[in-house]
Order: sequence, then C-alpha cells, then structure tokens
Amino acid sequence: MTWLWLKESQKADEYLREIQELGQLTQAVQQCIEAAGHEHQPDMQKSLLRVGLEGRAGQGWELSLLLSGSSQAASFGKCFLDRFPPDSFVCMCQDLRVLNAVRDYHIGIPLTYSQYKQLTIQVLLDRLVLRRLYPLAIQICEYLRLPEVQGVSRILAHWACYKVQQKDVSDEDVARAINQKLGDTPGVSYSDIAARAYGCGRTELAIKLLEYEPRSGEQVPLLLKMKRSKLALSKAIESGDTDLVFTVLLHLKNELNRGDFFMTLRNQPMALSLYRQFCKHQELETLKDLYNQDDNHQELGSFHIRASYATEERIEGRVAALQTAADAFYKAKNEFAAKATEDQMRLLRLQRRLEDELGGQFLDLSLHDTVTTLILGGHNKRAEQLARDFRIPDKRLWWLKLTALADLEDWEELEKFSKSKKSPIGYLPFVEICMKQHNKYEAKKYASRVGPEQKVKALLLVGDVAQAADVAIEHRNEAELSLVLSHCTGATDGATADKIQRARAQAQKK
Amino acid sequence: MAFPHRPDAPELPDFSMLKRLARDQLIYLLEQQHEVDKLYKVENKPALSSSEQLCFLVRPRIKNMRYIANLVNADKLAGRTRKYKVIFSPQKFYACEMVLEEEGIYGDVSCDEWAFSLLPLDVDLLSMELPEFFRDYFLEGDQRWINTVAQALHLLSTLYGSFPNCYGIGRCAKMSYELWRKLEEEEDGETKGRRPEIGHIFLLDRDMDFVTALCSQVVYEGLVDDTFRIKCGSVDFGPEVTSSDKSLKVLLNAEDKVFNEIRNEHFSNVFGFLSQKARNLQAQYDRRRGMDIKQMKNFVSQELKGLKQEHRLLSLHIGACESIMKKKTKQDFQELIKTEHALLEGFNIRESTSYIEEHIDRQVSPIESLRLMCLLSITENGLIPKDYRSLKTQYLQSYGPEHLLTFSNLRRAGLLTEQAPGDTLTAVESKVSKLVTDKAAGKITDAFSSLAKRSNFRAISKKLNLIPRVDGEYDLKVPRDMAYVFSGAYVPLSCRIIEQVLERRSWQGLDEVVRLLNCSEFAFTDMTKDDRASSESLRLILVVFLGGCTFSEISALRFLGREKGYRFIFLTTAVTNSARLMEAMSEVKA
Repeated sequence: MTWLWLKESQKADEYLREIQELGQLTQAVQQCIEAAGHEHQPDMQKSLLRVGLEGRAGQGWELSLLLSGSSQAASFGKCFLDRFPPDSFVCMCQDLRVLNAVRDYHIGIPLTYSQYKQLTIQVLLDRLVLRRLYPLAIQICEYLRLPEVQGVSRILAHWACYKVQQKDVSDEDVARAINQKLGDTPGVSYSDIAARAYGCGRTELAIKLLEYEPRSGEQVPLLLKMKRSKLALSKAIESGDTDLVFTVLLHLKNELNRGDFFMTLRNQPMALSLYRQFCKHQELETLKDLYNQDDNHQELGSFHIRASYATEERIEGRVAALQTAADAFYKAKNEFAAKATEDQMRLLRLQRRLEDELGGQFLDLSLHDTVTTLILGGHNKRAEQLARDFRIPDKRLWWLKLTALADLEDWEELEKFSKSKKSPIGYLPFVEICMKQHNKYEAKKYASRVGPEQKVKALLLVGDVAQAADVAIEHRNEAELSLVLSHCTGATDGATADKIQRARAQAQKK
Repeated sequence: MAFPHRPDAPELPDFSMLKRLARDQLIYLLEQQHEVDKLYKVENKPALSSSEQLCFLVRPRIKNMRYIANLVNADKLAGRTRKYKVIFSPQKFYACEMVLEEEGIYGDVSCDEWAFSLLPLDVDLLSMELPEFFRDYFLEGDQRWINTVAQALHLLSTLYGSFPNCYGIGRCAKMSYELWRKLEEEEDGETKGRRPEIGHIFLLDRDMDFVTALCSQVVYEGLVDDTFRIKCGSVDFGPEVTSSDKSLKVLLNAEDKVFNEIRNEHFSNVFGFLSQKARNLQAQYDRRRGMDIKQMKNFVSQELKGLKQEHRLLSLHIGACESIMKKKTKQDFQELIKTEHALLEGFNIRESTSYIEEHIDRQVSPIESLRLMCLLSITENGLIPKDYRSLKTQYLQSYGPEHLLTFSNLRRAGLLTEQAPGDTLTAVESKVSKLVTDKAAGKITDAFSSLAKRSNFRAISKKLNLIPRVDGEYDLKVPRDMAYVFSGAYVPLSCRIIEQVLERRSWQGLDEVVRLLNCSEFAFTDMTKDDRASSESLRLILVVFLGGCTFSEISALRFLGREKGYRFIFLTTAVTNSARLMEAMSEVKA
C-alpha cells in the first residue's frame, strides 16, 4: 500500500479508506513508523514516515518543525486519522536523525535501531566521547535537549579531561582554552578536571585549573592530595567552612613538624583560633606550646592561672603554677596581673596555714571572704593583720566589718567599732544594716550620727518621719521634702504632711 | 496602653512552618531508632538507662563528645554492648568526629544531623538558641557558627522568598551575608521563583552596640528576663510569684493576652494597667448578679472560661510585678538606674566610679559590678589607668583571683579597656584632621583605632542624638521615641542605626557614624530590584542580631514599627541580657 501511495495511485486512497473502515488505521500508522526505524536508507525512512504522517491528523505543522532541521522533508497530507498521539512519531524522527548521524561514514557506528534502543543514548554518548567525537556528541545533546548537567556539561568536562593530557601544549594555554570553552557552564567541576590533570602529573596545570573553581570548598581536597596544604588552608579559610579548615589543619599537623605547623598557624588567625579552641578541650599541652611559640606571655600567664585552680590539686603545685604565671605576666609587661598573682600566692599559703591552725575552710576564698570568715569566727586580731598585710582599703574594711558584725548580731562590738575612728563610709550604712537585721534600736543610735546630706534618708529608714520632715524643712531642699512627703502614709503622718506643704508654700512665696 | 498597630501594618509571615519542619525531621531521625522510652539530660553522670540503645541529642561541642565517650567507654569496660547514636543539632562539626575518633569510639556510634536552627519563640521572634555564639565569636574568634547562620538565612529565603533589600554592619554580619549569598548561588533556581514576603533584612553584630545590652532593662518583658530569666520563651515563676508552694512554668508570648499588652510597657505603667484590668475583670464577673437563668447559662458556657484564664494570667503577672518591685527596691534600684543614666550621658563620672567601687566593696553582685565596670569603660572610651587598676584590684579582692582571666577576656572583647595613655591619640588626631581633608582624617582615625579597640560611644551618641533633650517630664505612658525603653534617657544605639539606615535605604550620610563604629569595611547595602515584592512586604523587616539581642531592643523596634507602619521580625542567635553577656565573659571555677 505504501508503494501505491507513493506512486500517487488512485488505489491508495481506496485501500486507506478500507483499512480505516476495518479500524486498523492506528495500527497501520504505528507499523509504518516502526518500519522506518528499522530501515537504514534515509530515503526509505522518509517515505515510510511520510505515509505514517499521512495517516495522522492535523499536527503536521508541528512535525515539520521537528523535521525541518533534518534531511527529511515533511509533507502535509490529508487527515485520515484523528487523535493519533504524536509522540512516537516525533521520537522516531529524533532517533533516526541521531542514528543517521552516527552511521555517517566519517563516524562509522552502524547501529541498528534495536541496538540503539538497547544501548540508550547515554551509552552512545559515552562511546562518542571515547572516540573523542566531542563536537558531534555535543550537537546530539543540544538536538535532543538533554539537561546540561547530563549532556553538554558532561561532555565538555570529558573534553577538558582529554585536553589536559595533551602534553605538548603549555599549562598556560591548556588552562586558558579550557576556561574559554567551559566558562561558567553549570555542572562542570573544575576540580574534577584538575584532579585528572594531577593524575597525569601536571600539578601546575591542576593548580591553574583550580583557580577557575568557584567553590573554594571543592578546591581543598585536591590541593591536600597534591600536598599544597598551605594553599589548601587559605582556600579553606576563604570558603568560610570551619569544618574544612579543621580538616586541613589536621592534615597539616601530621604533615609538618611542630614548628612549621605552628608557624603556618601564626599567619592564619582564623585557623589559629579554631585550633586553640580544640586544644583547650583536647590538648592542653599543645595550647601551652602554641602560646610559647608566639611569645604570647599574656595568654601563657592566663593559662597557668587556670591551671592553678583547674588542674593542680596540691597546694605546692598550685603555688608553682601561679609563680610561672606571674613570671609570664612580668614578661608580658603586665605588672598589674603579676602583682595580683603574687598576692594570690601569698594568700593561698596563708589560707593553708589558717586551715591548719584554726580549722575550717579557707582555701579558695577571696581575700574579702577570708577576712569575713575570720571575723565571723571571732579572730579579729588575725583579720586586722590580714587586712594590713594585703593593704585592704579602709572603705572596704569598714563595709566588711560592718556586715560581718551585723551578721553576728554583735551590737556591742559594732558600736565599739563605729567609735574606733571616723567612719570612711559615713554612718548611713550602719543604719541600713541594722534595719536589715530589724534592729531599730541600734539603728536609731547611728541615725543621729549620720551627716547632714543623708540625715533625711537615715531618719526615714528608722521610721522617724516627723523628724525627717523637720530636717528637710531646715535644709529647704525640695527633693528631700518630696521624699519625706512620699513616706507620709496613714493618719499619723497627716500633721507632718501639712507641715511640709506649709513650708513649701512659704518657700515659694520667697 | 498597648498601642495597636496601624491598620495598614503588614501581616507577619507564618513561622510555625519552621517548627513543623524541624519536628518532622526529628521524628524521622528518631523513628529510625525505634522507640524512645526515656529522655535524659546530657550531663556528666552515668546514664542509668538499661535500654539497648542510647541516643544523644547534643550541640556539637567537644565537651559533649567527651561525655559520650566516657559513657561508651564505661559500657565497654563493663562488657556491655549497646547501640549509640549521636544526633547533632543544628549541625555536625568535624572537630567533634575527631574527638570521637581520638577517644576510640568513632566506630561504635552512628551520627546524624538535625538541622533545627530556627526556633520561633513568638510570632515575630526567631531564635537560634545559640547562646554560645557570643563567646565563641566575639571572644574566641571562632567562626564556626557563621555557617549555621548562613544556612538559617538560606532556609528563610527558600521558605519566604528572597530579600530584595539587604543591609548590614559588622564583620560577622558581612561574613554571614557573603556565605549565605554563596549558598544561594550554588542552589539558585529554587528561591527565584518565590515572591518575596519580607522586603528588608538587616544584619547587625552585637559588638556594634554593647552599651544597650549592658543597661538595666525597665520594659516589662526585659525586666522579667533580668529578674527571672526567660528561657526559650518560657519562665519559671517561683512560689513568691505564684503565691502557692509550687513554682509554675509559664509561656510568655503573644498568646498570653495579658502579657501581650504589657510586655513592651515601661515598668512604671504596668502596675496601674494590671489593677485597671483587674477592676474590669471584676466588673465582668459582677455582671452575673443581674442575670436570669438563660443569660447565666450563656455566661458560663461562653465567657467564664475566658475570664478565668484571664484571671489566672492577671494574678500571675501581678505576682511577678510585686516580686520585681520587692527585689528592685531592696537593692536600691533607683540609685543604680541613676548611675547608669549618668554614665550614658557622661556626667559625674567620678561619682559613678565611686558608686561602682562601693558596689564592688559591698559584694552586691559579681555580675552586676562587672556590668557597671564595662558600661563605664565603653561609654568613657576605656577607663583611665588609675581607675582601671584600682577597680580591678577591688574586684579581685571581693571575688577571687580567677577573675584575672575574666578581665583578660573583657579586654580582648573590648568591653573593659584602659584608655590609651594620656589620650594622645585624640590630640594627634584632631591636629591631623585640621591639616588634611576629612577623608584622610578618617583613614588616620581608622589606623589609630585598629591599634586599640575604641568605642567612641560619646561621639556616636552625639552624632545620632541618642540622649534625647527633654523639656520637663518624659511621659512614659505616651512614649515619643524609642528612648522610652530606658525611661526616656537613652535611645538604644542598635535600634537607632537600624532606623537611620531604613530611612535612607542605605548607609549614605552615615559615613561618620560607620567610621566611629570602626566598621568602614563592614557596612554594606545590597538592593535587587524585584517587581514582585508587594508594598506590604516592603514594610516587613527582618533584623538579624549576631551575638544576641535584648528584649528592650525588641520593644524599641516594635515601637518604631508602630510609629512608621513597619513590622519588625527578629532573628537572634539567642535572646540575651547584661547578665548573660557578663557570664559569657566570666571565668568560673569548675
């Protein structure tokens, strides 16, 4: 029938109608399309396809588009068959075009349609790549519109890998050529290509290629493999990925001797801090060495201070650690820290002695707490001595004694103390503290001694609103007046409140 | 009270999606592990579980690895075989695997990652719950969390569309931003399709503004945080608040209707508001009296439950207020606030210094004293050498010698420093700047400031007008600017920066401020034109605080949003306050 149709025979139309009446037209079209697939001669393929097309309905224009690029011309025919799905036809056209291309004698892969289907397009592409037929492979990918990552990019990558093996071309040229072709094609991994270059012994080329790799993270493993660890380190740092930096660090640590390793770290503050963090938990000794290497006496001092209470247990060990710390601080020209450390050594020894002589817990108390403990234990002499030895400022000592004696509720001693000399902290704190212990009687004693500026506050604290009002009026101080007024509550203070208001009014008149 | 948003205020995106995502992933991870029968807290104690497999859900910290290693090795010694699984959240670090390997248990455990980096604490607050970020980055210079931040931002842009306008300031902000951009580029396509829901993103490093974080908070939510410590959006109210013998865990967020109305209020208004509310509530209860049966039925079935709920919340917050008042008056809170304000404004420095000294001598609170010292140092551009030495000596005498390390930490972080000898720098600087152009002077200042980390707070404060000139009383009930969060005495620097940049849509005209912040290299703007961004989305702003933000800052920006018709969304590495910052810097004996 095909033949008849091709010869434009009248009969063709009759047969066609007959087939249609039998309801086998779909099948017939299908067969024609398939037959075309198994045909090797382009002319014959064309004819069969055209017959198939003839039997199909109205999508001629679509097919023409598909075929227009090929050697086969599409023809528009009458529509005998409605709703025949176009896919099989389109696929066949594409497949045939690919097959014809590889069957070309320049290429010489005489695949049959069945073989091709068995192989799949991916394998065919691989074969073309193996034969280094890169341009054809790329054309096929573009024609079939394969996704870039599986298609063009993959082939370009293969091409690049081949390119790096061309030993007669200079590194410079190869790298440039590759970059020109590949540009920023998605899915192309420069690091893979570089790995290949390295595999061929072209380390320099590999490094050049890695320069094109946009993701610095990808550069690192290969650089490590090529023993360019320092470069790898800076790339890892560039990537901002601390894990990667750490990987490189551990590599470096095993690869370099300790001195070189530390030197490398020194130039990379980010890596250094990362490694320090690790050492702080895992390798304390290394941390010390790191500081030593850098002559970082300040940190070294801190390190020993920490050791003095965290790692050393025996008192001798602790004092020794502090001594080392103090020496380090001197070297760091941090005299303040050195002196403070020395004081701590003295204090530790003394606390030890106190524990031996008096019993109780003294070790590790702060200076302030040591003195407080002594007072609470009734060892006033010792406390005085300690305060003198460590030059505790007067103000602190007064606060300290005041609090401790009030805690003991030793009111007699407190009064004696308050009269020992003029208080450097004034007498308001005495009032406050007595009130805190709910001892109004004692508080009142001190309230009378409070200086004029704080008198009102003191009187209010002990609850003597009336007198507070008098003082405030005497002072003619607006802030004090309102303070007293805010304390005037209930009926009892009514008179006082009036008094204040009167005083205020008077002040305003003037 | 409780100012409503402007009617045209944009809707917030729905962040519960983040929670669902995280939950599903965790369930997936745990299901592989079969049934979980008991949860233990990871601490240095042997686990008493007898089950066949143990699953650890941990932060990727070396300390935790050591704990796991100890446990596994103890099992090994006892001849016990179990299955172990470690789930790292939000991500696994190579260093942790290294430790597992060094401890010889790498082969015995299997590892997984739970990429849970954003916890929505409230409708407008996302927290990464990484309090360690602050110390790790700002003290130790460890950049490991930057990647986590970038990942979190990436997640947000995949879920809520890309951000058309990006601003930032600070070294860490810039690094995070660049890393995030790289992630987007590697994975583009996905995000491009989405319509941007949030118009602006602003990244800010905590070290741009330590001052605000160091101030005592006086806005209700901040005060609750300072007093009771809000953890993960909930607070434990002790017996003194609940007025029973039990303590109660209370969720604090927008769902709590009473709290929602007072959270951003200055504390002085809160009590009055609560008592007014209590009276209203009573009135509503009282309506029962005149009701007939039918109305009563309605009342019981519809209103009573709500009223009871409100009643419960009301009494809790009243309890909290009372407790706060008691604590705050005891420690002479007024005095403290006065000193802080003096420091912020820069007058009576001597008096403030002696106040701090007395504070230390009396051993009031180690953290508070430290905070005041830092505040003094930053506002004054470092302490004068004499004070620096004497305050430190006093502090060591009060609290022990290990704080030598604390001071070394604080100095490194730029929180507590010594003034450069004799202020010669400034003298030279001003001379030079008279001779050359402003730009060159800027460069010279940069060179100087790189020598010593200087805060320049006073100059910045003047430039940005942080201390409002107030005529008469500042009415805290009707705030007029963001300063209300600090009783009208100070506009939070961080919030002011954000305000200024948003107004200008860039850093233009803020060169001087940026220079004073020592951040010339790290202030950036990046605008991409996206026509699909609706005008509504352009009024939504995501503010990212790297190193933590305080509730005061959140309240201030919420206020700004209401004024300008914006809405702010907050993303922070953790909610912080002055005490947490100081604790992060302190050395304590283990």
